[in-house]
Amino acid sequence: MILIVDDKQANLFSLKTLLQLNVYDVDTASSGEEALKKILKNEYELIILDVQMPGMDGYEVAEIITGYSKSKDIPIIFLSAVNIDKRFITKGYTSGGVDYVTKPFDPDLLLLKIKTFSKLYRQAKELSDIKDNLEQKVEKRTEELKQANKNLEVSNAELQQYAFIASHDLQEPLRKIITFTRIIEERFLEKTPAAMEYMSKIITSSERMRTLINDLLNYSSISVDPKFIFTDLTKIVNQALVDLEVSISEKNARIEVDDLPVIEVVPEQITQVFQNIVSNALKFSKKDVTPFIKISGELVQKKSAKSKPSATGEYCRITITDNGIGFDEMYLDKIFSMFQRLHGKSEYKGTGIGLSITKKIIENHNGLITAKSKEEEGSTFIIILPVNQTAEHQTS
Amino acid sequence: MTKSLSFLLVDDDTDDTSLFKEVLEEVNPSISFNWAEDGQQALQFLKDQDSILPDVIFLDLNMPRMGGKECLTEIKNDEKLHKIPVIMYTTSSQSRDIEETMQKGAICFITKPTNMKELKNILSSIAGNVHSNLEKTLRLLSNNTTTFIVC
Repeated sequence: MILIVDDKQANLFSLKTLLQLNVYDVDTASSGEEALKKILKNEYELIILDVQMPGMDGYEVAEIITGYSKSKDIPIIFLSAVNIDKRFITKGYTSGGVDYVTKPFDPDLLLLKIKTFSKLYRQAKELSDIKDNLEQKVEKRTEELKQANKNLEVSNAELQQYAFIASHDLQEPLRKIITFTRIIEERFLEKTPAAMEYMSKIITSSERMRTLINDLLNYSSISVDPKFIFTDLTKIVNQALVDLEVSISEKNARIEVDDLPVIEVVPEQITQVFQNIVSNALKFSKKDVTPFIKISGELVQKKSAKSKPSATGEYCRITITDNGIGFDEMYLDKIFSMFQRLHGKSEYKGTGIGLSITKKIIENHNGLITAKSKEEEGSTFIIILPVNQTAEHQTS
Repeated sequence: MTKSLSFLLVDDDTDDTSLFKEVLEEVNPSISFNWAEDGQQALQFLKDQDSILPDVIFLDLNMPRMGGKECLTEIKNDEKLHKIPVIMYTTSSQSRDIEETMQKGAICFITKPTNMKELKNILSSIAGNVHSNLEKTLRLLSNNTTTFIVC
């Protein structure tokens, strides 16, 4: 609908007739005040505004119209017989008009202008409606995603708790199976070696299951809200090596540890990381070669395995190299996934959880872990950890 | 003549309790054995004027009504009881359980052995050294056994 504002009824009538003949919906107002009231109430696609009016003049009306958020985009064409100077025309434009037509005007040209401006307005409005609609949809989707994410976090935490409780409760009956099997073996089966052998198989399997449950427990109890402390990694490695003392001396292994940096970590978790990797290196050593493991570390520029060393770097690269049996790098992803084993149980012990725990810990530390290896030529594990966890949290 | 020893086992598991009692009798029949099936009962026993205080308390973690951690806190906060050495005796070998109970004042954390010879070995070491370097004995023991012991 088009609104014509003019204080002279004759002008209103002639313009209204002209537009109606050209099939436009038309409304009229005979003063600025009346026009503003109507604009607030109705939807218009174009306003034709007389400049010279008693009370509010056209410029004032235009300024108010462009001030309302509802009407600010409605095109205004000024119409004037008196104020035809350049300065009046300029004022018309600055007060919010899109055109300034002086009387007498050519009706055909005015109609063309009206057609153009109302078409432009309709298109702009359609676009903005589409945009609003899209924005609403995006907002709705974002909200839905946020909710879904929250639900996921909750069910994840529940699952973790469940895994912890389940594996904890599994320990109890299993321990009894082992205990009582041993008692039967010791007290009643001394003279029946065949039965003893079956009992030993029960014990071996139960022990294996026990290790499995223990590893699962460790995996599910890796704290979600850990306490980071600046720690000398050399001390952590030494602690891990003390815990592995028995297997190190059994294998007669030689271990070399360089000076490692001090970085912000959860000490118990990183101790476990070194324990897992070193015990893997011992486990997968070559049968007739003295195991040699070298642990070194340096500060680097970026969170990338190949990053350049830098004394002021914000990341720490730890490299653990062994001379063991190695593995084919096509299995690189597999070695870090839960329960994946590259070797038969009889060849090498283990549950296949160790490295997935390691990976989870490193990820909790906002770091990354990868490995390089060739079959029969040893393995190198590379860990990148941020030196400073608080800074990492702020940027991520 | 030295006063005979007294052990208190706090554990809701009757299988474990009877094995413990059996092995303890093999080690030394003169050691008096007391049993409480949860933390509440243990505290009741310990605070009873007529009870003879035990020389060592073996404390399980997961028990109904009052678990081992809460019971340990109560014992360590009690003027009369806090000096009695408490040994955690449980299925768990979780680091957070170990850290928490050691921090609360347990002298040692033993994961229940599955081998009766091991249990016998542990109980006889403890019985022989209750009043002389118990902690040192346990530390030595932890290095020479397949049972999971943390001191």
